[in-house]
Amino acid sequence: MKQQVLTFILNGEEVAVLVTPTETLLDVLRERLQITGPKRGCDDGECGACTVLLDGEPVRSCLTLALTVEGRTVTTVEGLMVKGELDRLQKAFYERGAFQCGFCTPGMLMVAKSLLAKNPNPSRDEIRSYMAGNLCRCGSYEEIIEAIQAVAAGEY
Amino acid sequence: MTQYVGQAMPRYGGIGQVTGTTKYVDDIVLPGMLYAKCLRSPVHKGIVRKLDLSAAEAVPGVVGTLTAADIPGQNLYGFSGDQPVLNNEHLRYKGEPIAAVVAVDEDTCMEALEKVKLEIEEQEPVFDMLEAIKPGAPIVRPGTTHNLLEFFPGVTTRILKLGDVEQGFAEADYVFEDRFVHNVQDHAPIEPHVSVAYWDAADQLVIHTVSQMPYFHLRYLQPIFNLPLSRIRYVGGVIGGAFGAKNDIHADHIAGLAALKFRKPVKYRWTKREDLSYSTKRGAWVFEYKTGIKKDGRITARHIKQWHDTGAYGALSVYAVEKCGMFAAGAYHIPNILVESQIIFTNKPIASSMRGFGVINGQTCVEVHMNKIAEAIGMDPWELRFINAWRDGDQGVTRYTVQGAGGLEAMKKLAELTGVQLPDHLMAMSSRRR
Amino acid sequence: MREVLYYAPTELTEATAILADHRDKAAVLAGGTDLLPKLNYYEVKPHALLYIGRLGLSSIHNGSSALTIGATTTTADLATHHLVQQYAPALAQAARLSGSVAIQNAATIGGNIANASPAADLVVALLALDASVRLLSHSGQRDVHLADFFLGPHLTILQPDELITQIHVPLSPGKTEFLKLGRRKGQTLAVVSVAVRLQLDGDLCHDARIVLGSMAPTPLRCRTAEHLLRGQKITTDLIHQAATQAIAESSPITDQRATAWYRKKAGEALVQRALLQALDKKEVRP
Ligand SMILES: Cc1cc2nc3c(=O)[nH]c(=O)nc-3n(C[C@H](O)[C@H](O)[C@H](O)COP(=O)(O)OP(=O)(O)OC[C@H]3O[C@@H](n4cnc5c(N)ncnc54)[C@H](O)[C@@H]3O)c2cc1C
Ligand code: FES
Ligand code: FES
Repeated sequence: MKQQVLTFILNGEEVAVLVTPTETLLDVLRERLQITGPKRGCDDGECGACTVLLDGEPVRSCLTLALTVEGRTVTTVEGLMVKGELDRLQKAFYERGAFQCGFCTPGMLMVAKSLLAKNPNPSRDEIRSYMAGNLCRCGSYEEIIEAIQAVAAGEY
Repeated sequence: MTQYVGQAMPRYGGIGQVTGTTKYVDDIVLPGMLYAKCLRSPVHKGIVRKLDLSAAEAVPGVVGTLTAADIPGQNLYGFSGDQPVLNNEHLRYKGEPIAAVVAVDEDTCMEALEKVKLEIEEQEPVFDMLEAIKPGAPIVRPGTTHNLLEFFPGVTTRILKLGDVEQGFAEADYVFEDRFVHNVQDHAPIEPHVSVAYWDAADQLVIHTVSQMPYFHLRYLQPIFNLPLSRIRYVGGVIGGAFGAKNDIHADHIAGLAALKFRKPVKYRWTKREDLSYSTKRGAWVFEYKTGIKKDGRITARHIKQWHDTGAYGALSVYAVEKCGMFAAGAYHIPNILVESQIIFTNKPIASSMRGFGVINGQTCVEVHMNKIAEAIGMDPWELRFINAWRDGDQGVTRYTVQGAGGLEAMKKLAELTGVQLPDHLMAMSSRRR
Repeated sequence: MREVLYYAPTELTEATAILADHRDKAAVLAGGTDLLPKLNYYEVKPHALLYIGRLGLSSIHNGSSALTIGATTTTADLATHHLVQQYAPALAQAARLSGSVAIQNAATIGGNIANASPAADLVVALLALDASVRLLSHSGQRDVHLADFFLGPHLTILQPDELITQIHVPLSPGKTEFLKLGRRKGQTLAVVSVAVRLQLDGDLCHDARIVLGSMAPTPLRCRTAEHLLRGQKITTDLIHQAATQAIAESSPITDQRATAWYRKKAGEALVQRALLQALDKKEVRP
């Protein structure tokens, strides 16, 4: 298939990459740019493992056609660290064991990041409802909620 | 060491998980890597009459195809040793792999799969295990006369026995019976099945696997590839959830065969839809429970029958059913126990292991059964359980002697945590003595 | 490999010209939350993809008699926009209850309508609000009542060369409610959903809308049930009758989400609850 140049801001840096029209953002991140933080769980929009921030808002990278992000800003879990320092959410997830297999974690972190950006002090119900689109089959939901609450409470 | 006991420790390797740097198998992308996709059976049961892959092979970007003929060793694998890697004869379930295409990417694989000329003589399937054991039911395994798995040659009912249930029922004041039906369940880990295989510089076949039991799986893979074990390097350890799904090989055999044939790195991954539809499952189960009990609540006998639907192949069902049978009477002192188990083939996806290996299927039944008995004899369900709970020295159905029993203590803790006030005579009971 | 063309026009005329050129070989792409699963799983194989996210169709305006909502307005915007909350609270509620955050950020109102799922949440609310859609093609434009738009599951009167550009929601008075029952609370398609609107005149019901989702091949206006309420004094009894009648008009199926039997039982309760709760809602005043 004919390839086209796609240019966008990925984790703070402009990237240009050749893509085909049917590739998704997830395909391009994982297979062309080796940004493998976002995971392919279902390719169907259901699981949330592929969630990235597009202009700061969470979207499913598996449902986002790559060419539509031309000129826009994409942040993945790889872009959470600042100057080699873990983001507070990364620290809290790590220290509080907010995962077992970790496959859902990159998606969870991005949604949590967006939640705290909008609502620095969410209630338990607000966390649950905001995170509802991200599945954790290992069942780390309690620890995920607690980690987000701990960050909101300034413990990290 | 002791400073860690009682402490929450950060997950080993967890920094990788929160930074996205942990390499799961699908994260591996190698130069020149090819992709494989399987042609799956569109029918639940049928005979392949024609399989013509030439048009698929002609699609630009297709490197080649794999069929049973490409397998250097044996075309059988699995815990029960009855599963073909690629089946181009008697298809037994919808989604069963028939052949594979290998191409530069998955889009091309899918395009090629559409061009395969496949003719199948469809046959009548059977889905309900209790129908499958009736006379005249469609036969799942060609060349056999019935749908029952043989535990040992000629033995289709596995019997576990302690004491004499008939005598136990005769001693009972009441006898209660219950029937339970459990449906099929999928493990649904977020990470689908995937494998990457390639030849390394030392002429070894390297396979990156999501296997939960690599040493078993190596033993299944070796005869397929017909390579000495020393030439297979099986790399595992990072898994995106499994829950028993990855106790069976779903992708390594195909990726390995493709790497073997085409001498290139090959990735074979399942889509989530394939995974949910066609991967191994926790099989369906039917249980019948019959319990004899004295007026004072002491159980005198328990007779359990279990029928397990293993789907198209045996896989780990024997393991699950035997383990289920071993504990199905519950953690109770019962002098007379009989457990009769049958495993039945149907034209459903393969049933195998899932969390608890069948134990929880039996446990849910026995505890519901206990509650119903308690209600029927007008006894508090805590009391019924306390009276019968295992004490040290009791015997299980396979004649194991219970040591370090803790059921009573666990129930006391549970009562405390849930705010239930237990009467003194129950609180005085201990697992150390009857 | 198959060639697929990609267009991301910034002008409507350009977009309709592309559609006219490709006839039924092009797929319109808005948020992609319905189209991409099908593309990813090779269920659709368009020759061209027309991305409409750069046409400037994401806006919400307040006219003298209607809200005008651009077709690519996202569900997230509908859920939070003050005009929608003020004049079409049932639509805001349907938006809030559909998908999850990441889906809502992409999913569009035009996509929800064009996809024509019997479960489409926004459509259920829009039908209760008497909405209409504006369809544009190379050869002209037409306005169609949403009630006349759907033909069956994923079937509409939309022609292959037409785009939905706007949705008009009349500013009509009334008390509204949208309720949804799913297999779980978050990110789930409706087992049954209901939107109601009651236009009251003292304690008489001047006009009513009762719309069911997932209960028929298309989202369904229960006209006989609405008629039962019209001109009557609203009582609990009448509400029960209307709910029973609404379910009698439906024809749900058994699928992986629920049985038809369950849908009818739950649907009846949901309609009752929606009507009762609507009575307690603040009246929308244009
Ligand atoms: C995980 C998940 C959860 C979901 N949950 C819900 C839910 O709870 N409730 C619900 O109602 N839906 C739900 N959906 C479905 C979907 O999100 C909505 O239907 C959404 O509104 C579709 O909009 P879109 O912009 O993403 O559509 P797209 O996928 O871009 O398009 C859908 C269809 O409409 C056509 N189309 C789109 N815009 C136009 C236009 N302006 N003119 C003409 N044709 C057009 C496209 O060609 C395509 O055929 C869910 C989807 C997913 C993946
Ligand atoms: S991979 Fe995108 S939602 Fe599951
Ligand atoms: S940690 Fe395994 S899916 Fe969430």
